[in-house]
Amino acid sequence: MQTIEGLLLEPVGCLAEFPPGPFHEIAVRLFGRKGKASPSGSRSYWHLLNLMQTDATPWDATRTDIAETLEAEAVAGASIYEDVLPVLAELPTMGIRLFVASSLSRAAVTGFIERSSLREFLSGVWTRDDAGGVKSAPLLSALGGACLQPGKVMFLTDTVEGINVGRSVGVQPILMMNDPDEARRLAMHHPAGGVVSLHEIPDFIRLIAARNAG
Amino acid sequence: MKKVSIYRPSTVDEAIQILSQHGTSAAVYAGGTDLLIRLKNRLEQAPTYLVDIKKIDHLRYIKEDAQGGVEIGTATKLAEMADSRLLQEKYPMLVEAINKISSPELRNASTLGGDLLQEVWCQYLRGGYSCWRNGGYLCYGAIGDNSYYHSAMGGRLCYAVYPGDAATALIPFDARAKLATPQGEKELSIEHLVPGDMLVDGKIQSHVVRYNEILTSVVIPPPKPGMRASFEKLRPRGVWDFAMASLAISLQLRDKTIDDARVVFGGISGKPYREIAVEAFLQGKTLNAELGEQAISVALANAAPLKYNATKIDMAKGLLASGLARLNA
Repeated sequence: MQTIEGLLLEPVGCLAEFPPGPFHEIAVRLFGRKGKASPSGSRSYWHLLNLMQTDATPWDATRTDIAETLEAEAVAGASIYEDVLPVLAELPTMGIRLFVASSLSRAAVTGFIERSSLREFLSGVWTRDDAGGVKSAPLLSALGGACLQPGKVMFLTDTVEGINVGRSVGVQPILMMNDPDEARRLAMHHPAGGVVSLHEIPDFIRLIAARNAG
Repeated sequence: MKKVSIYRPSTVDEAIQILSQHGTSAAVYAGGTDLLIRLKNRLEQAPTYLVDIKKIDHLRYIKEDAQGGVEIGTATKLAEMADSRLLQEKYPMLVEAINKISSPELRNASTLGGDLLQEVWCQYLRGGYSCWRNGGYLCYGAIGDNSYYHSAMGGRLCYAVYPGDAATALIPFDARAKLATPQGEKELSIEHLVPGDMLVDGKIQSHVVRYNEILTSVVIPPPKPGMRASFEKLRPRGVWDFAMASLAISLQLRDKTIDDARVVFGGISGKPYREIAVEAFLQGKTLNAELGEQAISVALANAAPLKYNATKIDMAKGLLASGLARLNA
């Protein structure tokens, strides 16, 4: 793995545990999804992103309003992982640039950043509104906007879709092993690496640099 | 087995020169009970050049020092330590611990240095998985079967436990390690020698010894007056295995009053886990039958078990109770 210079952060599943209900509700109300919500916020979210990506209908003000209202509800219900702040404070001191690259709306991401007090650590924020799309679009915008070499960038994710999206844009998809059983399944999809907790990221980056130096 | 070249230096200085010349592709070879298995399993981090230190004089001895302590050369076999009358007289708990390491056959080959600096025995690493210690970037123990050989006290990338018993047993005696380095001799406590997952020379390892340094001896201070110590070990197989949980405990007693205590757990963390909270709790207390139960209530408050190993914490607490009961007997 190349020496890391930046991190792309998708708040859902990477920085906080989001409730699945609001994402499922968007899928039901805007895309006619049937069935029960997944118990995992990340899986509900990425399922919704798949629906958004394949939807050809232009979004009017009503649809946008429904999505943003429910996403705001998801942000309000999110439990931020306890190690987020110390780790995101440490990484810039190591020369690592941090970007939020999210498929959430600008309003939701802004709300999340304010709630979690992350603003001062971030070099840039890209949302689906800024990027004009979901999944790979915010990642590509962040990479292009900051002139980052994809191979030198980690993208933290806890879903198969996240691993695949990361790989499709050339960044290093790193598995957040939040649930051991789920992580065991996801490890079969060949992420570039995996961490049990965000607090491992600084040592992860140091180890890569040390191996490359050797 | 991976192909290797072997050097047989006759002095420590010569060994250090060779190690410095080959960098991280060389490693010290003594008993071989860990190293040769890593070579056999073709692990990524296994060395290509072995520096055999068995022929070096002055690395294999057990002798009393001027202060009444004991110095042990690190090429000393574990079996020789177990048979040593000097160690049996001065540090019976250490001998008890040594006798619980592995099997008699392996103790005949294994050295003290090798036991202190051995690689972890995670089944995923030893099975060749591309984990943190084997060139990869993921801990399979954290998400796989972690019932036996993984930390219940959190981790730092790698979640395997530090497997050595000798370090756990040496810490209560405030033992120190001597290292030969290109810059001269270095001395540090056993706790500082094996502080758990460290990034050293681009590798993750449990100890701080660099690629061109050699652990030469361990110095144990003279036993303190009134000191009583005990070593307890629970393992998956009773005949021989690594600890699921172990405990080395020493109390310095004045009659029944505890003036000082050392409590070190093995097998539950990436390092010998010194439980300062219990040590502080025990200080000034009277050693009696109830103390074990009371000590348990303050023990291992920072436990962070993985999915399948919470029982290790219960085991460790049980060992604390039985260790104190034994010292009270």
